[in-house]
Amino acid sequence: MSTTGSAGHRPTVGRVVRPSAVSVFVAVVFTAGLGATAAAIRIDGLVIDVALAVLVVLAVLTWWQGSIGLTTNSVSLSFSSIVLVASMALVGPAGAGIVGILVGPLQRGKQPWRARLFNTGMFALLGVFGAVVYRAAGGVVGGAGLPGPWEIVRAVGFPILVADVVQALANLLLIAAVVRLAQGVPVRTQIWRMLVTSGPNQLGYGVIAFILVVLWEPVGLGPAGVVLVLPPLLVARWAFAQYSEEVKGHERALGVLVGAVESKAPHLTGHSARVAQLSVHMAESLGLRPAVVADIRAAGMLHDLGLTTLPTATVRRESIGAGASLRDYPQRGARLVQEVSFLAGSVDAVAHHREALGSGAEGAALGLAALVVGLADEYDLLTEVGTPDGRVLTHDEAMAILRARSPRDHDLLPALEQALVRRANVGGA
Amino acid sequence: MSVLRPLLERPRAAALLTLGILTIAAAVTTSLGSAGWASGVHYRTIAVFVVALVAGELVRLRMPSRREAAPLASASALALAFVGDIAGEPTFDVPSGVVVLIVATGLVLAAVVRRTFGRVVRVDQMAARLVGVGVAAWLARAASPWGLPLWELDDGEQVPLPVVAAGLLVIAAVGLTVEIGLSSAVRSERQRTAWTSALRDEVGEVAPLTYAVITTGPMVALMAPQLGLLALPVALFPLAITYVAVDRASRNREIYRQTIAILSVLTEAGGYTPSGHAERVALSSVRMGRVLGLSGRELRDVEYAALLHDLGQISLTEPIPGGATVLAAPSDQLEISSEGARIIRRASGLEDIASIVESVPTPYRRVRELGEDVALGSRIIKVANAYDDLTQGDSGASAIDAALERIQLGLGYEYDPEVVTALAVVTSATAPGRSGPGARESR
Repeated sequence: MSTTGSAGHRPTVGRVVRPSAVSVFVAVVFTAGLGATAAAIRIDGLVIDVALAVLVVLAVLTWWQGSIGLTTNSVSLSFSSIVLVASMALVGPAGAGIVGILVGPLQRGKQPWRARLFNTGMFALLGVFGAVVYRAAGGVVGGAGLPGPWEIVRAVGFPILVADVVQALANLLLIAAVVRLAQGVPVRTQIWRMLVTSGPNQLGYGVIAFILVVLWEPVGLGPAGVVLVLPPLLVARWAFAQYSEEVKGHERALGVLVGAVESKAPHLTGHSARVAQLSVHMAESLGLRPAVVADIRAAGMLHDLGLTTLPTATVRRESIGAGASLRDYPQRGARLVQEVSFLAGSVDAVAHHREALGSGAEGAALGLAALVVGLADEYDLLTEVGTPDGRVLTHDEAMAILRARSPRDHDLLPALEQALVRRANVGGA
Repeated sequence: MSVLRPLLERPRAAALLTLGILTIAAAVTTSLGSAGWASGVHYRTIAVFVVALVAGELVRLRMPSRREAAPLASASALALAFVGDIAGEPTFDVPSGVVVLIVATGLVLAAVVRRTFGRVVRVDQMAARLVGVGVAAWLARAASPWGLPLWELDDGEQVPLPVVAAGLLVIAAVGLTVEIGLSSAVRSERQRTAWTSALRDEVGEVAPLTYAVITTGPMVALMAPQLGLLALPVALFPLAITYVAVDRASRNREIYRQTIAILSVLTEAGGYTPSGHAERVALSSVRMGRVLGLSGRELRDVEYAALLHDLGQISLTEPIPGGATVLAAPSDQLEISSEGARIIRRASGLEDIASIVESVPTPYRRVRELGEDVALGSRIIKVANAYDDLTQGDSGASAIDAALERIQLGLGYEYDPEVVTALAVVTSATAPGRSGPGARESR
């Protein structure tokens, strides 16, 4: 892992969450969505026909299917967006806007009304906007009677592809903006995260929408085409479930491993989770890539894993940072971690999180991740777990101790402060 | 002959191969004349489908259960059975025998390539696919209740298009069912499991994928009059996305395995349990579970629980001598298992595994006398654990017999008699002379 960007990198301090800004943004998106749909209806007129009815039913079906997983917004959108993209080519901007308005609030499960308003506005906006892009790219609404494969590709396939990509990008920006405002997650981080999550699948969804449109209009199956496209829809959903299952699998694996640490060292209960959270917030405010942030999070969870290989009596007697017999536990932990493929990126940080602390220029090779985790670890040990002599320090005392260390730590202290601000603002979330 | 002997030992595989050969023979006799003609007129159509078939066979999917599947090839083969009118090409008006011969060509080409690269070629799977496609092609190309064969009705003039689509879907489902039914019959014979559970695993492991394969054929046939041969790659695309997803699912399984491997290493590294103990208990638990008819999912839970059954030992301040819980006091056994379960419960979603681990020490008499509900998995692991503690990994005949004898003493009181019977089956199957390891490989 390289250390570029650490020295001299000054994160913008004071990115504080402002609830009022979120409300204003949601209101703007909601109004824009409804306004765009109204404008489209005014200009094009709205034809209420079987096609629109069936698409609305499909939209409801996406609700019935429920949204999966953790990043609710991006996941449910990706599924609904097949319906949305198909509506652009089947019913035009006005209809797509209506479908969007319906898809938006119909997210199952508990959601704050603000999120539902935001989704309503966003999906309507995406529907109208996408349909306009579709038309601009030469797309034909309907498409019955197109002569031959080439015409179908030119007048339906290509425009769907363009509209799909543009719509996906617009969606990324809107969600990244609202998540930035609501949770303080940097826009860059959120966009990266969603590109990795749903980016490649988005193209696949475009193809499924294309199949639906071809079966519906040029082939002439009409709404019955939906029956043929449902299994691919299920496959798409299943594919997403796998992604979310993978993330959950990582979580479970980390959870069990942390459980082993805490069973061995009950006085460290909660420590791993706090260190992981602080490390993540630090890494995010340093602007690190999502993959690196994920590695740092795992390292934060597992930095004490090596303790589990030591005799129970020693672990419970000695204190981290003081006990000589605990000296090599980070290396022991790293050896365990390197056996797991998804933890490969965390090995170095687990191995060196203790030495990285307070090291000078010679410690530069130990890596930014090790330093981030080490700092979060030390702060939590000082303020929550307690020092070797059993004292629990206040924030200021702890920061004073950390500040007295090597200049390398100094670069990261603002990130730590900022992470603490975010923790205080968002609560444990 | 080296080819014949395994076939005699596996009558179902032999029957399937015969069926495959008969299908080809029937195809040759009924359509040899038109095959030559078809290859001249429809060379482009044939080439596109053969390429898709070969590619589909080569790019195999490895399911989370490590079973291989080739949904792209299945879907392409079924599509060929249905396709008729194709924009820009002559109508694919051929008897079902020609479809079978084209699919056979694709399968053989793929097999040759696989063999060249040293990959395994499963002749029984090829035969199952061929028979399934043969059935579908025959149904689609024989006369339908509406007079003409279904594939000829795809313009929607005589019969409403949705009805044609529904008919094609039914035929595709029949064809795929035949293929999956035959291949799972052979697989269950190889792994000594019940046919029904093999079938359930095969259809249900990725159920949406199975549905998607069924719809792809009709989708191609219906889109081809408009999209031409482009209909095939377009319709296969959603299936191809699945490959990524299935790959992820397999990786999920791998993550579990690796994490659990670490955890079982923890007790070994701390000197609490002898090395390899957890692995061996897991292996024999899975084998017993299979004999007792557990499903794929249940087997997996048992495997993981077996790997973790000693996890609770890591927080002991005094290790148990030799790590053999079978010799530990019942109260210590209970403490270990409940601590292990507590650690596992730290992670959400592993409740099943935790509760299996939790009740491993429960003696069988409490099930019999008090009607306590102890999971079969726990009873299996209890026996497997005792067996490994007693043999210490020694697979010699005398060690096995001594261990079995000790376990027999606790029959009905400590151990579930049915599970002990399964242990006897498993140990005799793994005794020298029988092919034991194969059972694990082909899971």
